[in-house]
Amino acid sequence: MSETKPYLDRWAGLALLLPMAALLAIFFVYPLARTVWQSFYEYGFTLRAYETLLSSTLFWKVLKTTFAISFTATIVALLAGYPVALHLSRLPPQRRMPYLVMVMLPFWTSILVKSFALIVLLGYDGIVNNALSFVFGSPIHIPMVFNRVGAILGMVNYLLPFMILSILSSLLTQDVNLGRAAEVMGASRFTIFRRITLPLSMPGVLAGVLISFTLSIGMYITPALLGGRQDMMMANLIDFYTRQTLDWPLASAIAVVLLLVSGVLVAMLGQVRGAGGMKEMAR
Amino acid sequence: MSFPRRSNLVVPAAAWITYLFLLVPSLIVIPISFGGSGEMTFPPQVWTLDLYRQFFADAAWWGSLIQSLRIAVFVTLVTTVLGVPAAYALQRTNLPGGKVLGGLAMGPLLVPVVVLALGLYLQLGPIGLADKTWTVVLAHSMLALPFVMVSVGAALRHLDPSYEQVALIMGAGKTRIFFKVVLPQLRSGIAAGALFAFLISLDEVIVAYFITGTATQTLPVKMYSALRWEVSPVIAAVSTILTVVSLAFAIGLMWLERKDRHD
Amino acid sequence: MQPIARDMIRVTALTRTYGSFNALDAVDLSVAQGEFVTLLGPSGSGKSTLLNLISGMIEPTSGKIEIDGRDATNQPTNQRGLGMVFQNYALMPHMTVFENVAFPLQVRKVPKSEIETRVRDVLRLIQLEHVADRKPKQLSGGQQQRISLARCIVYRPSIILMDEPLGALDKKLREDMQLEIKRLHAELGITMIYVTHDQEEALAMSDRIVLMRKGRIEQQGRPEELYFRPDTLFTADFLGSSNLLMGTIDVSARTLQTAYGNLPLPATRPGEPKSGDGVLMIRPESVRLFSETAPETWSGLQATVRDSIVLGSFVRHFLELPGGKRVIVQEPSGASLSRPERGSTVRVAWGPQDARLLRTDPDFQNL
Repeated sequence: MSETKPYLDRWAGLALLLPMAALLAIFFVYPLARTVWQSFYEYGFTLRAYETLLSSTLFWKVLKTTFAISFTATIVALLAGYPVALHLSRLPPQRRMPYLVMVMLPFWTSILVKSFALIVLLGYDGIVNNALSFVFGSPIHIPMVFNRVGAILGMVNYLLPFMILSILSSLLTQDVNLGRAAEVMGASRFTIFRRITLPLSMPGVLAGVLISFTLSIGMYITPALLGGRQDMMMANLIDFYTRQTLDWPLASAIAVVLLLVSGVLVAMLGQVRGAGGMKEMAR
Repeated sequence: MSFPRRSNLVVPAAAWITYLFLLVPSLIVIPISFGGSGEMTFPPQVWTLDLYRQFFADAAWWGSLIQSLRIAVFVTLVTTVLGVPAAYALQRTNLPGGKVLGGLAMGPLLVPVVVLALGLYLQLGPIGLADKTWTVVLAHSMLALPFVMVSVGAALRHLDPSYEQVALIMGAGKTRIFFKVVLPQLRSGIAAGALFAFLISLDEVIVAYFITGTATQTLPVKMYSALRWEVSPVIAAVSTILTVVSLAFAIGLMWLERKDRHD
Repeated sequence: MQPIARDMIRVTALTRTYGSFNALDAVDLSVAQGEFVTLLGPSGSGKSTLLNLISGMIEPTSGKIEIDGRDATNQPTNQRGLGMVFQNYALMPHMTVFENVAFPLQVRKVPKSEIETRVRDVLRLIQLEHVADRKPKQLSGGQQQRISLARCIVYRPSIILMDEPLGALDKKLREDMQLEIKRLHAELGITMIYVTHDQEEALAMSDRIVLMRKGRIEQQGRPEELYFRPDTLFTADFLGSSNLLMGTIDVSARTLQTAYGNLPLPATRPGEPKSGDGVLMIRPESVRLFSETAPETWSGLQATVRDSIVLGSFVRHFLELPGGKRVIVQEPSGASLSRPERGSTVRVAWGPQDARLLRTDPDFQNL
């Protein structure tokens, strides 16, 4: 019943927190505020940037592309990731480690390295096309990079660790005895999966989908390097207006839109996972 | 008693397709980097160190590697020195704004990096602070801070407060307790956070791309620019160097986690 | 006459509230130099709150704490000159045993050579000299707790606080450690305040037991006083087991009218209920079994034997009075013991001075 008084008093606490707070204020809060402000400012307050956006066919096209690519990449990551999570969850814990290493490997590899590797693998004269040509005895050049397929494959590779770990964590909290009981009662493995495993893993699936989609819509490097000219996403459009046309208010307005969309997604993720879900992304 | 079960191959087979898709792009660069500079094939026709020679012969390449390592080291220092005391204060006080600040420190994880990159560009550019190493260090520190806070915070939550209480009763001052009692027990959490911070900074492209110029270009920025114009084989050597560093750190992290579980 | 010992701790009207909850309610307590005082009570009774207030880890809502004659109410923990032993030992896992014991001396800036001898001396005192270079995790629970005791003793604090120090140990080890702590207390003469919820431990170790209930002191005194002469039902019930018979006091006949008959009351004492309802408390070991008649002056009741179990050094009989009320009788056991047959009728009786008349208590309704 006896709760002790806080170990550090208020002043000690403040002194220890102040440097970090200063860093966050100057290099996190201020840049965000600056972006929002810039989107309304051009020799005085103006809504010009937002008006331009609303009437810009390029912006709407990019917005549509962003959502389409993000949606597809998320679904592909889910379909490719679920079997892995299922496989991992069925392994005894001591044998899980090497497989987890494979899952985490892309997480630790630079996105540039992976993009480069995918270009080399999937290019016009890439390793995959060469292998196919060799097998079929005739030159094969399936276009797999510098188009939407390339962008999506690159993003899926990036998203998979997040998706797999999210699903795995909800698979691992399931009671093994549920499946055993169902099996004893004569349910087939597919029935067990469809009626027990899958429904109980839905929170993990939902969280994984939300994390993946949130990460996707902000993607910059992958669409720029692996996508085609038609596959520009919001982040690339921000860069385009910042550096090519030097229209900072317009770039800022797009950034604000991106910020709002990902804010909504993060809030939804918070609903699914509770506050802990955010921190999980750091793990 | 166990029930005879039909071995199910569907799940492992599907899983292995994904495992390969995860593994190959991260590792294929290594053999390619030892191929000749003519064409990028697998397996390489000849085994040579030509690409590495090219890399180290070009000051722009290895200079940016040095720059990246320098920045990553500073980021590691800054995030550790700022993050550890802050995480400690968040655990051991009940300041009214503490929860908010703790949440704010997670913020850089939740905001698309490109938005932060734009904000930093707008903020630093006009006042002439872009293209400076120390601003890149601080910007990367902001990005890496959540990882340090999470690692150290987790270690702190496992630290029984009775160690500090007993030291206090024995007459020790709080500064001495922090250095002699708390820090030694947070070692692996701090090390994990530091490794995270180093890797985040080393691999970071977008913010660096927005706020560096020719004077402060990092390796990922140089690599990104190179990749946009032509896919030069020397990038395979660069990639291998980056991958090996990343892997070494990742293995270090996993070792730390393992050690923690066994202690 | 005993010499008048100095008060090492004096607590006056000490109160700690959490919202509307009184964790500690205006408690007064003095502890004399060299005394071994146990704070005993169920969880939530305020014993740990009182200990943490003395150590300074909780701030009092009101009241005063004096340590060794100085006002320590608002003194920081690390200036109070105390020692403390925790249930989880709280030995620093990153330091060796030697470094752990040396730590408080380093804090006090004791010269290095002196640290060496003092640490060795105290490790010898607890017979653990040979583990000096090991890490705490390599030691058994009992060894760890002895080290944490050594870590206190080594800097000779005026008072050592112990918060359920033996709670994590198994029974056999606990009894060894009780003796060890008593030995060290006797040898070193350090004032000790010991918190436990284990009444047997409190009875075995203390010079004085302070029994706490709902943030107040229920009763305090020497172990045998609390055990044999409880002032309240709570004390009687908390320490040991007891037979409690409720009834109405007949002042003129000096009997308690119960459902099982009129039972004679012991001689009057200050503080006992004078009229109305009362409860008669008799310890199981004060009750005797008789196959036929009991001594004339003894109270006696007819009872049926329900069960009879041998617990090593003593035997416990479970009896039932007419109407279902259970009575426990405890006798020393022996090889020639003959246990009464289950279902047989016997007389249970006790000497009038072994019974104690207590007030009823709303927390003890179903007696």
